[in-house]
Parts: sequence; C-alpha cells; structure tokens
Amino acid sequence: MIGATLSRWTMSYFAAALVALMTAEGLMAAGYGYPAAAIEAPETLILVHIVTIGWLSILMCGALFQFVPVLIARPLYSDALPLPTLGLLLTGLVALVLGFLQLAGHAPAHFAFFPAAAVLLGSGFALVLWNLGRTLWSARPLPLPARFVVVGLFSVGATVFLGIVFALVLGGATSHSHFVTLTSAGVPIHVIAGLGGWLTFTALGVSYRLLAMFMLAPELSGVTTRGAFYVGTAAIAMAIIGGVAAVCTEANLQTVLSVAAILGLGAFLLYARDMQHIYRARKRRTIELNSRMAAVALGHLAAVVILIAVLLSFGALRQHIAAVVFLTCFGWLSGLGLAKLYKIVAFLTWLECYGPVLGKAPTPRVQDLVVEGRALKWFVLYFVMVWVATAALLLGEPLAFRASAGVILIATVGIVAQIVRIRRLADVSATARLPAGVHAPRLLFSLVKPV
Amino acid sequence: MTVTFVDVDVRAILRAGGEPFDKIMEAVNTLKPGEGLRLLATFKPTPLLHVLGSKGFTHEAKELDGGDWEVLFSPSGKPPANAASPGAATVDKSVWPEPVQHLDNRELDPPEPMVRILATLESMAQGDVLSALLCREPIFLFPELAKRGHSWRGAFEEDGSTYKVLVRVGAAKEAAA
Repeated sequence: MIGATLSRWTMSYFAAALVALMTAEGLMAAGYGYPAAAIEAPETLILVHIVTIGWLSILMCGALFQFVPVLIARPLYSDALPLPTLGLLLTGLVALVLGFLQLAGHAPAHFAFFPAAAVLLGSGFALVLWNLGRTLWSARPLPLPARFVVVGLFSVGATVFLGIVFALVLGGATSHSHFVTLTSAGVPIHVIAGLGGWLTFTALGVSYRLLAMFMLAPELSGVTTRGAFYVGTAAIAMAIIGGVAAVCTEANLQTVLSVAAILGLGAFLLYARDMQHIYRARKRRTIELNSRMAAVALGHLAAVVILIAVLLSFGALRQHIAAVVFLTCFGWLSGLGLAKLYKIVAFLTWLECYGPVLGKAPTPRVQDLVVEGRALKWFVLYFVMVWVATAALLLGEPLAFRASAGVILIATVGIVAQIVRIRRLADVSATARLPAGVHAPRLLFSLVKPV
Repeated sequence: MTVTFVDVDVRAILRAGGEPFDKIMEAVNTLKPGEGLRLLATFKPTPLLHVLGSKGFTHEAKELDGGDWEVLFSPSGKPPANAASPGAATVDKSVWPEPVQHLDNRELDPPEPMVRILATLESMAQGDVLSALLCREPIFLFPELAKRGHSWRGAFEEDGSTYKVLVRVGAAKEAAA
C-alpha cells in the first residue's frame, strides 16, 4: 500500500503536549524554578523537563508518527505502538518530576523515582525509535527531509542515554567513574543534543517538506540543502560524540563545543538561504496564518543564533544561558509548534471527517474550519510576550518575567481554544458541518477506518 | 549470492512521451527465481521503487553521466509484502483505455487537487480512466482511492516536478473479482 493514512493517536499526543505546555507556563507565572531558584535547582529542572519532554518531545513524536509516512510515502511500521509509547513517556515524565522533587526534599526518599524514570522514559523513547526506525528503514534510500529526521532520532537516543546516566547517578544506582564525570560535566551535551540535534534538526527537516507543501513551493534537494544536512550533522556529531569523548578523557569540552558551534552556524546559514528561497519561490501569493507564524518562528531561530553570538563575544553566554534556552524553547520551537499545530489539526480533522465523502457530497474546505483573524491576535500576543520575557531574563527582572509568563499562558490558552474549536468543527456553518455519512470527530483521537 | 540482471531500457519510450509501466511489469513477471532487473530510465522512478519493493525487490539507484538513471532491482528473498492489497501494488497487466478526463491540478492549493480528482471520479463510468497532473505525489489520495476500489498508476514526469497520475474507476474491484 503506497501512501499515508491518519495516525490514530496523534491527537492524543498533541493534547498531552499542550497540557504540559500550559502547566509549564503556569509554573513560570507562579514563580516556580529559575529565576526564583538557581538554574541547576531541582525546581528549574522540573520546569525544563515538562517543557522539553512533556510539551516539545511529545508534540514532535505525535507529529512524526503522522508525517514520517508522508515524507517517505510509506505507512507507519506499527499503528498499535504509539498509545503504549505515550503512556510510557507520560509516566516516565511524572517519575522524573518526582525524582527531582526528591532531590529538593519534597518527595519521600525511599522510592526509586530516578531509576523508574530511566526505565520508563528509556523504553518510551526506545519504542519511538523502533517504530520510526523500522518505518524509515523500509524506505531507503531516504529523501533529504527524512534524513534530517534520522539524525534527529539518533540525537534523541543520545539525549535519553545521557539523561538515563544522570538519573542513575543521581538516584544512586551507579557510581561508575565515567558516568559520574558525565553527570557533573555532560549537562551542556545533553542540552545541545536535545534542543539542537533532536528538536531543532528534526523541525528543520520536516519544515522543508511542510512549508513547501502548504505554500506550493518547489521541493529543495540542491547543494544548499545537502550542505545544511551534512554540515548540521557534523555539528551535532561533534557536540555529542566529541563532547562525550572530551568529558571522558578530561580534554577541553569548550574547544569541542566551539567547533560544533561554528559548524552549526554554517548549517543555519545554508538552511536560512533555503527557507528564503522557499518563501520567495512559492506559487501561493497570499499565505495562510500558519506559514506566516512559521516565518516568525524561523525569525526567532535567527534571533537565537544572533543572541548566542553576541553573548559569546561579550563572554556572557554562561551567565545568560537561561535566556538563550528560553528563547529557543518558546520563540523558536514552541512558536513553530503552535503555528504548525494550527494547520495540522485543521488538515487532519478535515481529512478524517470529510475524506470518505469527498466528491459524493458537498464538503467544507479546510480553511472553513479555521477563523484566522481570531487566532492571529493570540499568536501576536504570544510572540511579543516571549520577547518581553526574554528581555526580563537578560535584565534580571524576575517579576517582569513572571508577569510576561502569565500573559504567555493566556495567549497559549487562546490558541489552544482555537485548536479545540477546529477539532469540534465549531466554526463550520451548521448546515455544512455534518453531511450524510460524516461523523463528528473525537477530541482526543482519530477514528481511522482500515484501508 | 550473485544475481543475474535482465536489462530493460525504457529511455526511448520515455523520450517519446510513452508510459513504460506495462513493459517493466511484463519484464518483472518473466524473471526467473533469483534473477534481478537492471532498469535504465531518464529519471529516478521513485513510485516504481515502492511498487517493486512491495513485490519483494530491493533496489540500488544511481545517476549516470548525462542525467539518466540506472536502477538495479534484486530479489530480497522475502515474500512480497501486502500481496493482497489493492491499488498500485497489484500487478495489473491489462492495457488501460485512453483517459476520458484530464485534470491539471498543479496550481491548486492542497488538498484541492484531491477533492477535484475524487469528485470527477464520482461522475465517471466503471473502467474509465482519469488523468491528472499534480505538483507533488498525492500521498493522502492513494488510501482514499484504495478504499473506493479504484486502481492507479503514477510517476513524476521527466521534468521531475510534475506528477502524473492515472486512475481507473473501480479497476481494483474488477481485478479482485
């Protein structure tokens, strides 16, 4: 069977991810974690992992279960695995949060939360890798966007491996000397592998295909695209493999990461050129809200690169790393995630409801499911407040940061409400909503009929 | 295990604007156990890679000097996957009639191309063929065609950016009957 069908549990992943995002924003607004607590404090680590695992990784996994088949025109290896996988990831996240609470002295000390988190998250991500890996393996040779995803999957493997090492050392399950050294010195590698190799690089690969698809732009596979892939892969390999080797041999990690940063900058410039080309060469002149907001998110990726460069030149990167991580997570990754969710949920809902009766009965268009004007104001508020919050972090204004986090939460709730309305077909006129043979979609999963 | 390859050169057919799918499938069906196929084409025949993949062939594609492609299909030794599934994976050796409907959907926003194809198919008679030009492979269309019992054949044109799909109404049902 050639082609791609709807992934049944993708909506469940999106829902869980959005709940995690709003939880994290609520915690920030309440003053939990940095800047009220230290950057390495358990409270901050709880916040960071709710954002990176609960929101960004679960969002990415749900999206990949749907879009890897689209990238390679092959069905997903297993449609049964995503649900237990989601269960493992969520319970693993809860165990991890409890482990950090234990470190802070807020949870009973006699439970082995960290080793439990290591097992649960390790098996959850292993199932993600197995399912997507088998799917991709069957489609070799892979098109370029799918190769970005492969590098992303290797990176999440490395991130989780390091995370497991940290959890086992912190949970007292091992005292192997290399593992202890990695736990004390390897945190930057864990962060770069997760935010850079896994989330950013995968998003870059998928963006090549999705943006071209939604804007009727040419699919790129030329020198700049291949260059972005190879140079980016080299940067990630240097940071992860070179970084771990440097830590274990007590060589200079800073040098290794600097080389990786230069390679990463090169890959970013090539990618930026490609994106400029896709937006300029598009056949569709008026573009939808999701593509405009994706462009804003891409602007934030550029801002992250510039911010890192400026802070490095002033020797202040370490001091302001929280602002860099915040802008990466909320301006770039979450901005892109929310923008794409707005389109993907509409498209998948439309396909689920109206696909079976297309041509047989009058059906609404995909754009009839959304009211872009209403969503636009929430997106604008979201992005403006991300800038305010980043500035508050850079200037060391904790109260301003909390206030802007609160407004970011309100803006997110506004966007989520629009996404729920899309899923409920609330903005489709009552007469067109449910033609004969069409069933209303469920909020949290898709009803998929086997082919 | 060494594989002997049977040569099939479809470059002349492609350059003349023809459709070489029948010739390729004919050659595949006459292969002896253990034999492979060496295909020469003017572009990388991505959809064919999937079709033959589902028939149990692995492939190795390389671009030759001058922009032509050589693809080596070797038997993987595994039984063909999805042998019973309808659609393009089914070997349909019959010659299809000339299309009675032509659509140019290259300038339409997704998913309009899919909507137009499915709507047009509803108005056509059993066995009729529709031809549509698209600007990408219609990934989400294929499962819908399969559900409705239609057969299809599709490939990128020589320019590499136009995807041409032929859909035959109800042909999968017919073949299964």
